Amino acid sequence: MQKPVSSNVSAAVLKPVAGRWSPPKAALWAAALSPKVVVGASIVAVMVICALFAPYIAPNDPADQDLTNMLLPPVWSAEGLAQYPLGTDSLGRCILSQMIYGARVALLVGFFAAVGAMLLGTTLALLAGYFGGWVDRLISQLVDLWMSLPPVVLSLTLMVGFGTGVGNVILSIVLVDWTRFCRVVRSEVIVVRRKDFVAAARLLGFGDFRIIMREILPSVAPLIITLFTLQVGIGVIVEAILSFVGLSVPADVPAWGMMIAGARNYMYQAPWGLFLPIIAIFVTVLGFNLLGEGLRVSLDPRLRKRSV
Amino acid sequence: MFQALINVAVRRFAAAIPTVFVLSIVVFFVLRALPADPLALLLPPNATQADAEAVRHSLGLDRSIAVQYVIWLRDALHGSLGSSISFREPVTRLIANALPATLELTFFGLALALAISVPGGLLLYGMRGTFIENVLDVLVVCMLSVPAFLWAIFLMLGLGVMLGWLPFSGRVDSGVVIPSGGTGFLLIDFVTTLQWDHWRNAAAHLILPSFALALGFSPLVIRVLRSSLLEASDDHYVTVARQRGLTERQIILKHMLRNSALPTITLIGAQFGFLFGGTLLVETIFSYPGIGNLMVQAVRNHDLPLIQGIALVFCVITLLINTVVDILYVVLNPKLRRA
Repeated sequence: MQKPVSSNVSAAVLKPVAGRWSPPKAALWAAALSPKVVVGASIVAVMVICALFAPYIAPNDPADQDLTNMLLPPVWSAEGLAQYPLGTDSLGRCILSQMIYGARVALLVGFFAAVGAMLLGTTLALLAGYFGGWVDRLISQLVDLWMSLPPVVLSLTLMVGFGTGVGNVILSIVLVDWTRFCRVVRSEVIVVRRKDFVAAARLLGFGDFRIIMREILPSVAPLIITLFTLQVGIGVIVEAILSFVGLSVPADVPAWGMMIAGARNYMYQAPWGLFLPIIAIFVTVLGFNLLGEGLRVSLDPRLRKRSV
Repeated sequence: MFQALINVAVRRFAAAIPTVFVLSIVVFFVLRALPADPLALLLPPNATQADAEAVRHSLGLDRSIAVQYVIWLRDALHGSLGSSISFREPVTRLIANALPATLELTFFGLALALAISVPGGLLLYGMRGTFIENVLDVLVVCMLSVPAFLWAIFLMLGLGVMLGWLPFSGRVDSGVVIPSGGTGFLLIDFVTTLQWDHWRNAAAHLILPSFALALGFSPLVIRVLRSSLLEASDDHYVTVARQRGLTERQIILKHMLRNSALPTITLIGAQFGFLFGGTLLVETIFSYPGIGNLMVQAVRNHDLPLIQGIALVFCVITLLINTVVDILYVVLNPKLRRA
C-alpha cells in the first residue's frame, strides 16, 4: 500500500464535492431530498447515535448476568419484566442493551473496513485505469485471482491466519473487498481518461499525478461515495458472519453475530433472542443500502435521466 | 461453433492453472502468518515438551514454511491433501464425502434463484413508471439487505421451528440410511435405489437451505435483468419488432429476454462466489453436512490442512463455473462464435 497516495485520495475525494464543483451541488441537493436517502440517512443516524452513546441509552450493562432471570421474553408478553424491555438471553443478559452495544462493533468494523477497502481499491483502480498497459494487466490479474475464491472463504481463511480481534476483522475485510472498488472504479476511470478535459489537462502539461488527483478522481468521486456507503453495509454483514463463527471479537464484547450464535441453542424456548439481533443487522444494512442506492441514482446523471 | 467452444474451454483452463497455484501459495502462507499452534488440539493436557516436538516433527511442522509448502504441493499433485488434524482422516476423503451435498444444495439454490428472479425482473420491468415499481424497488433493496445466512435463520425459525412444515437439520431424517457407493447426490441415489419415501425426505431437507441461498442471491439477478431489459427497450430491434406489430409480450419473451440473458449470465458468473460462499453459513445453520459446514468446523478447530484443502476446492469449482459461463456466453452470443 502506498500510504502517501492513499491519504491524498481521501482529501481529494472530499474537497471537490464540498466546494469547487458547482453542478454537483445541485446533484447533492437532489440527493439529499430523495426519499431513499432521507430514510437511509435517518436509520444510519439512529445506529450511529446508538453506537456512540450506548452507555447512556442502554437500560442495563450488557455484560451483567441476572441468573434469576434467564431467557426472559420481551416486556409485552406476560412473563416479561420492565427492567429488560426485550428480554434476556441464556445468561440473563439484557438483549436490548446487547443490541445497542452491538452497534459499536458493527459500525466500527463496517466504517473502517470500508475506508480501507476504498483507499486500497481506488488507488489500484486509478493506477490501472489511468496508466493501462502492464500496470493494468497486473492489477486486473490480481483482482481475478482474488475473485476466484468466494469472499467468505477468503475472509475466514485470513481470520485464521491473523487471529481474532477488531483490527484483524477490519484488515481481513479490506483485503477481501478492495476488489469490489477496484473493478468498478477502474472501468469508470478508463471511460473518464478518454474525455476531452483530460486531454486538455495533458496538453496544458499537467503531470500524471495532478491529472489523476484533480481531473479523474473528482469525476469518479460520486461512484466511490456510493460504493463506500454500500460497502459499510457489507462490512456489517461480514462482521456478523465472523462473530457468528466466533472469529471476530472476544466473547465479552457484545456483537450481533455472537448473539445469534448464542441464541441458536435456545431457539425453541426463546426464538425472540434469535430474531432481535437479526432485525438489528437487517435494519442497519438496509439503512446503508437505501442511502447508497439513493446516492447512486441522484449522483449519476445517466441514472437520473433514466428514472425520470 | 464447436471449435470456438473448445478454444474458450482450453483458454480458460490454461488460465486457471496458475490461478489455482498462486492462490494455494497465498492460502498456505496466510494460514501460517499467525504462530498459532495447531498442536494444542492434538496433544493431551499433560504432554511434555518432548511429546510436542515429536508430534511437530511427525507432521513436518518443524520445517520452514516454504519447505512445508513444497511438500504439500508435491502431495497435492499426487492426489493427497494431507490429513485433517481434528478429524484424523484424509482431507480428500472428508471433502469427497461432503462435496456432493454442497453441489446439490448450490445447484438447487441457483435454480431457485433463477425461478424467483426471472419473473421478478420481468415484473419490475413491466411495472416501470408506475407507483408499484417504486414499491417493488424498495422491496428489492430490502431483500438485498438480508444475506443468505439471515434468510436461513428466518426460514428455520418460521417454517421449521414455529410452523413445523419442513425439516431443518441435516440432509435426511436420522433414521434414513444414505446409500453407500452411490453418486453422493441423494436425489439421484434414492431414485436409482427406488427408495421414493427417502427421496421425498431428502428433497424436503433441501428446500429450506436452497431457498435461503436463493433469496440471498436473487435480488442481484433481479436488478441486472431489470436494467438490461430497460436498456434493451431502447434498442433498434425492439423498435423494429414494435413496428412489425408484435405484442409487447411477444417482444419481451421472444427477443428481449434472450438478449438480457447475456448480462444476467455474466453476473451469475462474476457473483457465483457470493452464492457459493453462502453455503458456509447456510450449511452450518441447517447442520447440513457439506463442505461449507466442514470449512466452518475446520476454521473453528484451526485445522490447517483441512482449511487449505477446502479453500482449494472452492477455488477450483469457482473457476470451473466461470469456464461454463464463458462457454454459455459463446453459445448464446453468435458474434463470439467465430473468434
